[in-house]
Amino acid sequence: MLPAPKYQSPLKNIRVLDLSRVFAMPFAGANLADLGAEVIKIDTCQAQFMDTTRTLTGPFPDNRPGELWWEQGGTFQNLNRGKRSLTLDLRSEESQKIIKELVRVCDVVLENFTPRVMARFGLDFKSLQAEKPDLVMVSNTGYGHSGPWSSFGAMASALEPTHGTGAFMGYMEEGADGRLAEGQVPNKMGNSYSDFLATWTALGALMAALLRRARTGEGQWIDLAMYQTGTTVIGTGVLDFVFNQRRTQRIGNRHPFWSPHGVYPCQGHDQWVSIAARHEGDWQAVCQAMDMPELASDPRFADPIDRRQHQEELDEIIAAWTSARTSYQAMDSLQEAGAPAGAVLTAKQTLTDPQYLDRGFFETVHNPPEVGLRPKGYVGRGWKFSKSKAEIRGPAPRLGEANDYVLGELLGIDPARLETFAEDWTIGNLPEGGRAPGAVPLDEQVELGWIAEYHADYLDRLPPV
Amino acid sequence: MPAGLLNGIRVLDLGSGISGPWCAKILADYGAEVIKVESPGSGDAARRMGPFAGDDPDPEKSLTFLYLNTNKKGVTLDPSSASGRRLLDRLLAEADVLVENYPPARSKELGLDYASLAEVNPQVVVTSITPFGQTGPYRDYQATDIVTYALSGLMYHSGDSDQEPLRNVLDQSFYVAGITAAAATQVALFARLTSGEGQHVDVSAAECLGAHLVQPLPYYNYMGAVKGRRPVRGAGFEELMPARDGYVAPSVQGSQPWSTIASLIGPEELQDEKFATAAGRVAHGEELKELLIKGLAQWDRMPLFLASGEQRLVFGMAQDAGDLAHCPHLEARDFFVEVDHPVVGRARYPGMAVRLPGETITGSQPAPLLGQHNSEIFGRELGYSTQDLVSLRQQGVI
Repeated sequence: MLPAPKYQSPLKNIRVLDLSRVFAMPFAGANLADLGAEVIKIDTCQAQFMDTTRTLTGPFPDNRPGELWWEQGGTFQNLNRGKRSLTLDLRSEESQKIIKELVRVCDVVLENFTPRVMARFGLDFKSLQAEKPDLVMVSNTGYGHSGPWSSFGAMASALEPTHGTGAFMGYMEEGADGRLAEGQVPNKMGNSYSDFLATWTALGALMAALLRRARTGEGQWIDLAMYQTGTTVIGTGVLDFVFNQRRTQRIGNRHPFWSPHGVYPCQGHDQWVSIAARHEGDWQAVCQAMDMPELASDPRFADPIDRRQHQEELDEIIAAWTSARTSYQAMDSLQEAGAPAGAVLTAKQTLTDPQYLDRGFFETVHNPPEVGLRPKGYVGRGWKFSKSKAEIRGPAPRLGEANDYVLGELLGIDPARLETFAEDWTIGNLPEGGRAPGAVPLDEQVELGWIAEYHADYLDRLPPV
Repeated sequence: MPAGLLNGIRVLDLGSGISGPWCAKILADYGAEVIKVESPGSGDAARRMGPFAGDDPDPEKSLTFLYLNTNKKGVTLDPSSASGRRLLDRLLAEADVLVENYPPARSKELGLDYASLAEVNPQVVVTSITPFGQTGPYRDYQATDIVTYALSGLMYHSGDSDQEPLRNVLDQSFYVAGITAAAATQVALFARLTSGEGQHVDVSAAECLGAHLVQPLPYYNYMGAVKGRRPVRGAGFEELMPARDGYVAPSVQGSQPWSTIASLIGPEELQDEKFATAAGRVAHGEELKELLIKGLAQWDRMPLFLASGEQRLVFGMAQDAGDLAHCPHLEARDFFVEVDHPVVGRARYPGMAVRLPGETITGSQPAPLLGQHNSEIFGRELGYSTQDLVSLRQQGVI
C-alpha cells in the first residue's frame, strides 16, 4: 500500500452541478467528488424521468430490489458515489430558475442531454454563461453540438461500431485453405466502452479549462462528442487508411507482427491466460516456462515469421500446456521466466487479485443501514497521488437528501416557496410513479446468456471489507 | 496552432511507445509546450512499431509515432551519461510536468524515479504510466496490451460468449491509460496552485481499465453473478447485423415506440404487437431476427443510420478507417488537422477528442524528426554553443 496522502483534496473548493445521466458524465462527476469537489446531482422525483441507473440498470442486492430500490442499484452506486442530490423538475420554469441560481455558485456544469433539450430548458451554455461568466461546462452527446448529425441521439453500444472500433476488432474466420484468415464480421468491446472514453476525456478537458480559468479568469464550453472521442483512440488505424488505404484488420487475438500472441484455455470453466511474445527473448522465456527446449530450436518456430506461418500448430502446443494449469499458475510460470502473460480475470477474480488488493483499488463504501446495502468494494481510480487525496468519500446520495442544504443554505430560498415545490413533487425524497423493476431470476439469466454463472455463496468467496 | 488552455505549461515527454506520448500529446493539444526527449540512435520505441507510411519501416514513418507526437518539439539525450543527465536536469528545472513510462525498476536504475527528479525540481509533477503501477506484486511483470487488458478484468467481457475473450483494438489499454494520465496530471497541476508543490502521479493502465467495471463488479459483489461476454442468441438488436454494404447496429433503446422502429426496418410482419415489448422480443427472438435480417438486407449502412437518427432512434453502423477519414460529420466539426511532415508529406490527421468553441485551432506541427530541435532547445534556450553541441554529438550524448 502507498503511504497515506499528506495533503488535501485537490478540488475541495470546486462545486459541480451535475445534470447528467446514465454512465459517462455521472462517472466523471463521481471522479470529481473523489477529488474533493462538491458535486450536486440533479435528480427528479418523477420516476419516468429519473436517471435510468436509479430505476433500471441494477444490479440489486441479491437480485431483489428492496423497499428503497431507487437507492440500491450497484451501478448507480459506483457512478454516483460521494455526490449530493437535489430533486427538481427541469420541465418547470421554477426549476429552471433554480438551476440558473445554482449555476452562479458553481464552477462546473456537467450535462449530457441532446442539444435541443438543453435549449428547450433554456439551459444551454450561452444562457448559463450569462449567469456565471467564468463557467466551465461539459456537454457530452453522441455526435456533438455542431455538424449534420448533431441532433441524433446515441448510446455507447451503437456508437462503438460507428466510431470504428469494429474495423479493428473481430474473430478470425476459416479461409478457403482451411486455415484461419482475417475476419469479415466486426465485433464489439461492449461494456459501454465509448462511455468511459468520454469520462476520462471530459475529466482532462475540464481540468485544462479550470487551469486556464485560474490563470486568466475565462470559462470554457467543452463540446464533447463521443463519436469524435472514439475516433481519436484509433488514430493509427485512420492514418493507415490515409497513407496505405488499409481499412480494417480483424485478426482475433493475434498480433500483426508478434507470435505467439493470444489467449489460451486453462483449467476451470471459461478460464484463460493471455500470452504475448514481443521478441526472441520472450519466445525463449515461453519455451523455458513450458519446459520445452525442443520448441526453442524447432525450425517451424525459429522466428516470428515462421511462428506466424505455423501459428495453429504452435497455439495447439501452448494450449495443451495451459490447459493443465489454472490461469494464475500459467501466468506465474511464464512471468517467472520473464514472458509477458496475464490471467484473463473475471470481475469476481479482480476482487481477490493480489495486485488489486495490494494497491487498495476497490474502496469500501458504507451506506446508511436503511438503504439496505452491505458494505462493499467499489471501483477506484487509475491513478494514485503521492501527496493529494483521492478517495471515495461516501455512498451515492439518497434521492433529494440535499434539498434543504442546496435550496436553503446555498441559495437562501424562502421556506414558504419550498412548500409549494413539495406539493407538486418537485422536491421530495420519494419517487412519484414507477415501481421496482422486475428481477429476472439468476437461473433464467444464465439460460438467456445475460450472465455466465452465479455463486449463491458469493459472500463467502469475497475478501472481508 | 493548438488550443490555448495550457499555455505556459512546459512538459517533458520521456515516454516511449503509446501511453506516455499519448498523454503528452493530449497536453500539447490543450496548449502545453511539450519537449519530447528521446534516446540518441534508436529514439522512441513507437518509431519501430508498424504500420508505416507506404509500408516502409523507416523510423520517421511509423504512423503511431507520427500520430502521437504532433505539436511537440524533439530533442535527443542519453540520461545515463553524465553530460546527458546535466542536459536533462537543465530542462527539468524549467518544466512543470515530466511524463515517463519506463518499467519501475528501469526508471530507478536511470535515476529517473520521482525522488531523484524532485530533488532537481520539487515543483514538477511527475507522471509515471506503467501496466500495473509503481507498487504491488505485479509492478515488475512483463506486459503488453493484451496482458494488461486481461489482468484488468475487462477482457473477459469482450467478444462472444461462445468463443474466447477477444482483444480490444490497437493497444487500447495504453490509450485509456494515456487519456486518464492526462487528466490526473492536470489535477496535480491544479493542486500545485495551492500547495506550491509538485508530486508523483502513479498511473496503472490495468487500473484505468479496471475503473470501467462499474457493472460487472456489482454484478458479483451485489448478487454473485459473473457477467460474461455477449450472448450470441439475441434477437438481433444491440448487435452487429448485416446490411447490404456492411454491418449495422439496430437498437430498441431510446424513447420511440416499437412501430417507429418496425416501419423503419421494413417487413410488415415486424409491426406485430408481440414484438413491441422486451419480453415479447425475447420470446419471439428467432422469428424477430429473421425479419430483421430480411429488412436490413434492403438497406445500405449510411441511409439507414441517417434515417434512424432523423426519427430519433439510436442505430449505429460499423464504419472502417476509410469511412471515418471521409466522414462528413467529422469534417463539419473541423475534426481533422492538416499536418505537413518533412519525410511523409502532407496529410490529414485525426484531431482533438473535444471541440472547444472559441478556441482557434489551426493545423498541427508534425511529429519531430529524431533530434530535430537539439540546436533550438540546447543551443538557443540552454545556451550551449555550436561547438558544445558538436562535442555532445560526438560523444553520443545527443
